[in-house]
Amino acid sequence: MKWKDQNTEPSGEFAAAIRDFRAAVTHVAARETARPMAADWLAPAMKRRKSHQHRMVLAWACAAALCFATVPFAIMPLTTHSGSAPVRVALQAPASAPVAQHSEAERGLLQQVDEQVSESVPSSLAPLEEMENMNTASATGPSDPFVNGAALAQLGSTDASH
Amino acid sequence: MGQMVSTELPPLVQEQSVLELSDFDEVVRLYRPRIFRFVMASLGDRDLAETLTQDCFLKAYMARGQFRGESSLSTWLTRIALNLIRDHLRNRRMRFWHKTRDSSVDLVDISDWIPDTAASAETACLQRERVKQVWKTVDELSGQQRTVFLLRFVEELELSEIAETTGMNTSTVKSHLYRALRIVRERAGGQA
Repeated sequence: MKWKDQNTEPSGEFAAAIRDFRAAVTHVAARETARPMAADWLAPAMKRRKSHQHRMVLAWACAAALCFATVPFAIMPLTTHSGSAPVRVALQAPASAPVAQHSEAERGLLQQVDEQVSESVPSSLAPLEEMENMNTASATGPSDPFVNGAALAQLGSTDASH
Repeated sequence: MGQMVSTELPPLVQEQSVLELSDFDEVVRLYRPRIFRFVMASLGDRDLAETLTQDCFLKAYMARGQFRGESSLSTWLTRIALNLIRDHLRNRRMRFWHKTRDSSVDLVDISDWIPDTAASAETACLQRERVKQVWKTVDELSGQQRTVFLLRFVEELELSEIAETTGMNTSTVKSHLYRALRIVRERAGGQA
């Protein structure tokens, strides 16, 4: 033994135990390999190698078949989504511009109506406005007794004057 | 009890250790006992050791073109055997439900053989117990520790050769060896 080290070199009885262990292992190995080797000693190993290769080929073939079988299922949702998604985009993208245009036009129209409606009524037309208010009140129905009572009283007085 | 059997395998002379792979039968004849011993000590199973030894030589034969003589033939074959052992242990972990060690080496079988036949009955008994205890403890070591321990004390390789065989650097080998020895000493210390 060329290599010596205090920590990695057994000594004393421990070294003897390891020597005995080696001798025992060597003895068993020598006994097991003492039998004459058959000419086809490596034949079982070759058979194992071939069967291992066959198993590997089979395993890879199964894996490939599994991949081919699952890939369409995996891709299908993607294709359906990918087909509808552009349509949605196509529908949404042009729609947004007219909506904006519409809202602008509507806003202009509403503003115009507001302006017209909120115009102050000329004094000559004030009685008409009062009539209009009365009509509006009567149109609301009998649910508003105060308004209805006042309107009826006014109508009664006009009838009496006739 | 004791048998008068040589404790050593036939020594390899320099010419044999650098034997060309062309004469493969001779290579098998020379190295088979060593490879078998290493595999059997690593796995503790005779049948499995025979199977892996066959696989090792078949692999060596198939890859003989790749052997460039940078390392010794013994180191190259041991490296192949070590890879096969690792593959086997990995597969065994994957197939944990399989019954393992159908033909495990009987501890009594190993410890029955005592090299010193002149020893008294008491000494022989102690030796048997000692061998049994070391064997059991080695079996309980981690994979790397066991490999380094066996390569050092059964195959009697130098640290650099162990490093070359296992692919570790020398300091890692030394560290594994130190730990393995400490564990074996602690556990088998009562007997050793």
